Amino acid sequence: MQTDRKRRTETQGALHWRVSLLALSAVTKRYPGVTALDAVDLAIAAGEVHAVVGENGAGKSTLLNLIAGADRPDAGEIRWDGVPVTFASPRDALRRGITVIYQELALVPTLGADANIFLGMERTRHGLLDGATMRAAAAKALGELGLHIDPALPVSRLSVAQRQLVELARALVRDARLVALDEPTATLTAHEVAHLAARIDWLTTQGIAVVFVSHRLEEVRRLASRITVLRDGRRVWTGATIDVDEPALIRHMVGRDVAYVRHPAGRIPDPAPVLAVRGLTRAPAFHDVSFSLRPGEIVGVAGLVGAGRSEMARTLAGIDLWAAGDVTLAGAPYRPRTPRDAIARGVAYLPEDRQRDGLVLRFKVRENVTLPVLRRFVRGGRIQHVEEVRAARVATTAVDLRPAPPDVERPTTALSGGNQQKVVIAKWLLTDARVIVFDEPTRGVDVGAKVELHRQIRSLADLGKAVLLISSELPELLALADRVLVMRAGRIAGELSGDAFTAERVMALAVEVP
Amino acid sequence: MKRDLRDLIGRYGVVFALLGLFLSAALFVAGFLGLGNLTTILLHVSVNAILALGMTFVIVTGGIDLSVGSLVGFAGVLTAAALTSAGLLGTLGVGGATLLAVLVGVGTGAAVGAANGAVTAYGRIAPFVVTLATMTIARGAARLVTGGVPIGFPAEADAAFAQKSAALNALHAIGGGRIPVPGLERGFPVPALIMLALVATGAFVLTRTRFGRYIYAIGGNEEAARLSGVPVQAVKLGAYAISGGCAGLAAILLVGQLKSGGPDAGLLYELNAIAAAVIGGASLLGGVGTAWGALVGALLIGVLNNGLDLLGVQSFWQEIAKGAIILFAVTFDVWTKRGHRHA
Repeated sequence: MQTDRKRRTETQGALHWRVSLLALSAVTKRYPGVTALDAVDLAIAAGEVHAVVGENGAGKSTLLNLIAGADRPDAGEIRWDGVPVTFASPRDALRRGITVIYQELALVPTLGADANIFLGMERTRHGLLDGATMRAAAAKALGELGLHIDPALPVSRLSVAQRQLVELARALVRDARLVALDEPTATLTAHEVAHLAARIDWLTTQGIAVVFVSHRLEEVRRLASRITVLRDGRRVWTGATIDVDEPALIRHMVGRDVAYVRHPAGRIPDPAPVLAVRGLTRAPAFHDVSFSLRPGEIVGVAGLVGAGRSEMARTLAGIDLWAAGDVTLAGAPYRPRTPRDAIARGVAYLPEDRQRDGLVLRFKVRENVTLPVLRRFVRGGRIQHVEEVRAARVATTAVDLRPAPPDVERPTTALSGGNQQKVVIAKWLLTDARVIVFDEPTRGVDVGAKVELHRQIRSLADLGKAVLLISSELPELLALADRVLVMRAGRIAGELSGDAFTAERVMALAVEVP
Repeated sequence: MKRDLRDLIGRYGVVFALLGLFLSAALFVAGFLGLGNLTTILLHVSVNAILALGMTFVIVTGGIDLSVGSLVGFAGVLTAAALTSAGLLGTLGVGGATLLAVLVGVGTGAAVGAANGAVTAYGRIAPFVVTLATMTIARGAARLVTGGVPIGFPAEADAAFAQKSAALNALHAIGGGRIPVPGLERGFPVPALIMLALVATGAFVLTRTRFGRYIYAIGGNEEAARLSGVPVQAVKLGAYAISGGCAGLAAILLVGQLKSGGPDAGLLYELNAIAAAVIGGASLLGGVGTAWGALVGALLIGVLNNGLDLLGVQSFWQEIAKGAIILFAVTFDVWTKRGHRHA
């Protein structure tokens, strides 16, 4: 008897494996310079709600892409209904009964809810669209989800929460057996979240499996029966929701093996702040943000995606305008209306997406580096080539652009991500900025390049620049920042420095744990 | 190695194509290679090359200017009107009135172009729509000003006949004039000279000045340019003003050549200008294009037309050939760029 029971316990994992609707085993996905998923296992049973949590960059989106058929693993196996499969395309995954609902909803705003629900699988009669049948079926599916609207209403007239339900209705009409949702509650009000939660419960009673990706731990615990925690592309924990509390989840999310070397500051920050921000507000992105920044200091800004960090930084850079607030720069009032104003006053902003916002990829390294300061090299209306080249060489050498000595005539596209970021830094080095704002400076670069970029950022502070460092990577903040501001839902949730500045404290402030 | 070759072909492909076309015309078309015929080709392409040059500025920023053809008509009739205005001739004399007429032509073009740029850049409206509207308005205005009839040579009964014809002849020295060159029987056409000088100036502006660098930066990545402190809107306005100014200049050359300004002059010229710019390597996606490329593109079309003319080929076939070349140029462009994707 006892051995029997023991065997049952031992085989339970395998048993679960067999009944899983979707099972990923040892799935690995690499992108240039980064291993997004490293031998990850995930098993999802019919009728369960399974949450996947992790920090930004933990691999959640990649996992979702594999499930959706948008991408294929480099190694490992995916089983659907116990059978090994390769999803050739999103269409293939859809056909097998998997619907993925992204945060950026994939609806055609000008078409009606019914047309969207049946997009790509229209019902026809005698070769013509059968509008009446589709409208009725759409209305039925929407009704089951508690949305009683005219299905012909253009989606652009619906709220975000209603649009989400339209996507869910699409899954129902397709007889989906698994629905995956990416950050489904990020843009919903508390009331809408409650409604969605009830609908998700109802889906499970229909035998539909639900996977959802989130970093809102409170909702995760409310909705999910089981939770998987990813960190740095690895699965670190899977278990039942009742077996884990929030502090434990946070520990799983942030506890890690690699930490970066802390670069010691080469100087003590000046006592007087160069930038003083009071009550900065731009609704709904951020409210009442106050802090100060001293020359020679690196202040980190932590927070989850959507906490309003980039939005706040963009106003300081003159890209967007703030609605209320009072900012002084070097003792004088500061209110930039354009990036040009900000640059003229000595505020540089290094955008998060350097390929989209930071570089003209068609340009040579030299042309990118000198773009903000081109005026300096013009004499008699003509750009003095020799001087421009010299300045570009000085700046790229200062940031240690490889291979040394830097070839400033290389096309920017030919550089690696880390080197492209160095070009962006070199560009702002030339502007003699007093305040430098980095937005996710090491995103998408490999570990070696990260350490090198950290050294560059520290040396900027040692030159007397005031550095504001927005990063979603906690170890990066721990390695670089002298103190850190934690933002949550558009507000400063707290400031940490010294002994209080730990990964757990930052995460706790960012996800709101009492 | 393979990519280097592809790069080289990509960069100078149009030049090779022009040379190839030129050589085959020289071999197979009687009368093509004469100096007289070659200068005629230069004269014929000058208006289109000047429009294509201005168009290149706009296209490199990522825009398009559909108004230049109508602008040639509108600026042309205003130029002709100023040139044959008895009042102006009376107060300024023939020389003064001619100078004023030239200023009116270029000024009108540049002003309308600047308006295009202002609405596009500051109003953030698609340039296709803005310049489509201007195209219609300018054409209508040209017909309105003239009553639909060309403004041209005065009747002999005209009280100011002598002055008016003197002024038209003065402008003809620019639009239809020839500079004597030893060995060239009829001399070198002035419009071709103006075209060459303009293209050289345009090349200088695009490659050696801050304004030029900004034009490429905006077309290459408008957001990165803006974040780098580039005055994006002002630069765009400048590009459209240059395109309009080029149209005004082209109008003056046409009026001078024909000694008359017709409201329907320049019909569909914008499409020829776009064709020349694109054949010359400008990308409608922005960020790519050169002044010399615009000239080469215009020459390619000009040599093709001239060769087919000399062969006695119907003009209908010439149109088909031109379309085929545009298609080929763009396909070729895509092909040479494909090699860069995995760089």
